[in-house]
Amino acid sequence: MKRFIRTVHIMWYRQIKRFLRAKSRVIGSIVQPIFWLIFFGLGFSGTFRTMSGGMNRNIDYLPFLVPGVVMMSVFFGSFMSGISVIWDREFGFLKEVLVAPVSRDATILGRALGDSTTSVIRGILILSLASALAPSINLAGIPVVLVSMILVALSFTSFGIIIGSKMRSMEGFQLINTFLSMPILFLSGAFYPVQTMPTWMRAIAMINPLTYGVDAARIALTGTGVNSLIADIIMLLVTSSIFVSISAWVFRRTTIE
Amino acid sequence: MDVIESEGLTKRFGDVLAVDNVTFRVREGEIFGFLGPNGAGKTTTINMLITLMRPTEGSARVAGYDIIKEPDKVRKKIGVVFQDPTLDRRLTGWENLYIHGRLYGISSRELKLRIKELFEFVELKGWENKIVQYYSGGMMRRLEIARALLYNPEILFLDEPTLGLDPQSRAKVWDYIREIKSEEGMTIFLTTHYMEEAEKLCDRVAIIDYGRIIALGTVEELKSKVGNEIIYLNTTLDGQEKIFIERLRSLDSIRDLKVLKDGIISLSVNNAPETIPKVLQEAQRLEVEIREVRYLRPSLEDVFLQLTGKGLRDEEATFFDHVRMRRIRMRRGGRR
Repeated sequence: MKRFIRTVHIMWYRQIKRFLRAKSRVIGSIVQPIFWLIFFGLGFSGTFRTMSGGMNRNIDYLPFLVPGVVMMSVFFGSFMSGISVIWDREFGFLKEVLVAPVSRDATILGRALGDSTTSVIRGILILSLASALAPSINLAGIPVVLVSMILVALSFTSFGIIIGSKMRSMEGFQLINTFLSMPILFLSGAFYPVQTMPTWMRAIAMINPLTYGVDAARIALTGTGVNSLIADIIMLLVTSSIFVSISAWVFRRTTIE
Repeated sequence: MDVIESEGLTKRFGDVLAVDNVTFRVREGEIFGFLGPNGAGKTTTINMLITLMRPTEGSARVAGYDIIKEPDKVRKKIGVVFQDPTLDRRLTGWENLYIHGRLYGISSRELKLRIKELFEFVELKGWENKIVQYYSGGMMRRLEIARALLYNPEILFLDEPTLGLDPQSRAKVWDYIREIKSEEGMTIFLTTHYMEEAEKLCDRVAIIDYGRIIALGTVEELKSKVGNEIIYLNTTLDGQEKIFIERLRSLDSIRDLKVLKDGIISLSVNNAPETIPKVLQEAQRLEVEIREVRYLRPSLEDVFLQLTGKGLRDEEATFFDHVRMRRIRMRRGGRR
């Protein structure tokens, strides 16, 4: 057990160190969501108010968008970390990990936790910047947002790791990313409410883990949402444990062939 | 005691038989080398022994543990320096060693001392806090050797430890390997396609080609297989050579005769300076044109040439390979 925790810790340490080294990535990952908030949020808020009618009990678009953009940044940061599995394969570090006398479950969990930590830190930074743009959000909800960010991050880092372990090229990962990330993002209620989507889209949104993260954060920050907070958190707990387990299962079977 | 026991180790990739029924034993404390050209199956063999690949057939025991049934136990006993760098290039040298040490369960305090020692051992002092990306190829290799030694493994696997290094770095790596053996008494399994490396470092060598071990023994034993000295004749093949070869075979001083590619004949002899005039006499009598004569004290290169009928590798082609290449080039030029 002690060994397991030590392995988790050292792999976490490695991901954090790497993140801190990539300064341009850090800045880019913060600036992009802020631009979304400013250009998309402010630009769109006028239209949204007339469209949404009574649906969102008169909340403005910007406060509505803040939890969406925060979760978007957590989602992107987490999912894209899967590409580092491919990097590690390409640059050989994967072999160093595979030949080490440690539990593979521990190495992959440490890695997922490390990448989750960086995504969550990013999310917190964006949330604090966003709260300046939309002062009406309820800051007392931050602990709940934090919990849902962590669960969303764990789900999608694990999901990224699963795909990264199966892919052999960066291009392949990018292709999958293109096919998956847009639908996941747009069918999560991050930019527009799930209730007003066409039925088939709503059906997909309901099996999308990000939907529950966005919803939980929105309830915590603005008081409005689709599901109950408890239901959201339970769904997130279920999906994150499923994805973490699958990623461990996949990584246990990883070879260098 | 044998610390590696390989029993019919075989690896197939689809139709390709990369490693073909390889059986050998490595004794405790020796440097054992796998010598062979690129693509002979050396790395695949290592990958199976270090538990990163499952053999298609056969098995092996490393440090007393079965590589298929007890991979975790094997991993605890071995250190590996892979052919290609496996460092995290975004981290510093120190961080790379630190992460490795923690993965292998070394306590933080002991680790810090050990890292300091090893940076001195591989002469990278002062580079601890530089990002690995800025290291040269030779420095990366040295850092990897330091990393593999952190944990004091029982068996150290080195896959082409000096591949792509300049002569100076190569000599340094050789020094480290000798020092590790003499001071730690560690068993070292290395692969190489440099015969010089095998000759200088290895106690015993297995020559591998097309996935099969074709000879195994000490360097001296292997050399004695090809006789004391070898004469190479570069002849024109003009139909006379059959009689010529028969004549040569009948000479007492010639222990063995092989016809290699492109009219090259190799003769194993006890005393080349005495034999060469006799050979030339026969050639003159039978009007066989001999373009070049060369004689060598045998090296592992010759052992390889004798056993396989081809040179060990392209970059350091043998004397006659050069001739052959030139001819091919000329032929190509003519067609243009």
